[in-house]
Amino acid sequence: MSYPNLMSNPRKIFSQIYDRYINKIYRFIFLKVNSQEIAQDLTSETFLRGWESFKSGNKIENPQAFLYKIARNLVTDHYREKGKARIISAEYVKITDPRTNLEEKALLNSDLDNVKAALTNLKEDYQNVIIWRYLDDLPIPEIAKIMDKSEEATRVQLHRALKALKNELK
Amino acid sequence: MMTEKELIGKVRELRQIRPRKDWVVLTKSQILGEEPKILFFPFFKPALATVTTLGILFGIFSLAQNSLPGDILYQIKKITEKSQAVFVSEEELPKYNLEIANKRLEELTKIAQTNQVQKMAPAIEEFQANVSETAKNLVKVKKVDEEIVENTKKLEENKERVEKVLATKIETDEYDQALAQLVESQIKDLEGGTLTEVQQGLLEEAKEDFETGNYSQALEKILILSYQ
Repeated sequence: MSYPNLMSNPRKIFSQIYDRYINKIYRFIFLKVNSQEIAQDLTSETFLRGWESFKSGNKIENPQAFLYKIARNLVTDHYREKGKARIISAEYVKITDPRTNLEEKALLNSDLDNVKAALTNLKEDYQNVIIWRYLDDLPIPEIAKIMDKSEEATRVQLHRALKALKNELK
Repeated sequence: MMTEKELIGKVRELRQIRPRKDWVVLTKSQILGEEPKILFFPFFKPALATVTTLGILFGIFSLAQNSLPGDILYQIKKITEKSQAVFVSEEELPKYNLEIANKRLEELTKIAQTNQVQKMAPAIEEFQANVSETAKNLVKVKKVDEEIVENTKKLEENKERVEKVLATKIETDEYDQALAQLVESQIKDLEGGTLTEVQQGLLEEAKEDFETGNYSQALEKILILSYQ
């Protein structure tokens, strides 16, 4: 997805990018930080940085890859700043934020909490490839671009990631 | 043992994780500097807030215009009148004062008719203060015009009506003296000039009115005289 007429109406174009990717980026971050508040902060920061770069005229060939790159860097910075361990024990990881409403709580049952916890326990590359392939439904070539790997290496990565997840859920 | 398909199915269920819709809308507006389309508190919209504030102020001012002495909004009415007076020229000020004095008498009539006893005293005080202000400016009038004549006559009629309703006399000595002074100075000016026979007749009538204390009538004659 490219935006050749970037300067014609950047606000409108970025507005469409925002609408298209906000849920994905939020989910991607939420699955890593386990907090609605932090996920909101980092997601808004992701789009703010994206918008600043976009409006300054930087050519962005792949907005999705671009936003994911910002999001990943922000998550890394977040853990670095806080000195927090990225791996959080499954016992403490609840998918539902304490402030989410009852409807959301009903939807996200304990079974899902387990999957979420298992996913969180995986190393970052495995988490990412699973999220992109099975939650975002991105094709392998697209994931390969984001990860800056070959398609074959991406397929291998995905296979290993699934195996690791299955082991976590044993 | 979970199959790969089952595992992927479980992972896909994590799609239920979504940000709050209101947060999505607000964040977008903050980042792009746009007006959010959906807001739970529409009063936070600056444009709407301005319109609402102006609407409320307009409503208050409109209500204040119908308020009576002793009402909460009456002070706003007085402030509005005083603010308007700032933009009135010195020459026009006596007319403006007369208009306001008449308004005070209309308020008094309304109070008397609706039997709002507790508002009676403040309303009389308001009228007397206003009519005293009118007196100060009335003596400065150089040329009598229709508006002055009309308003002085109206004030006299209104005052008589109120006194009848209240069955009491409202003292306006200062105003009466100022009006007398105005009539007297106008008569003196006319006596020093050349008048036609008709004008002379009208001047004589005005003098008689003056002698009997009918000052507004005397002013009317002086006005008619100036048209001859």
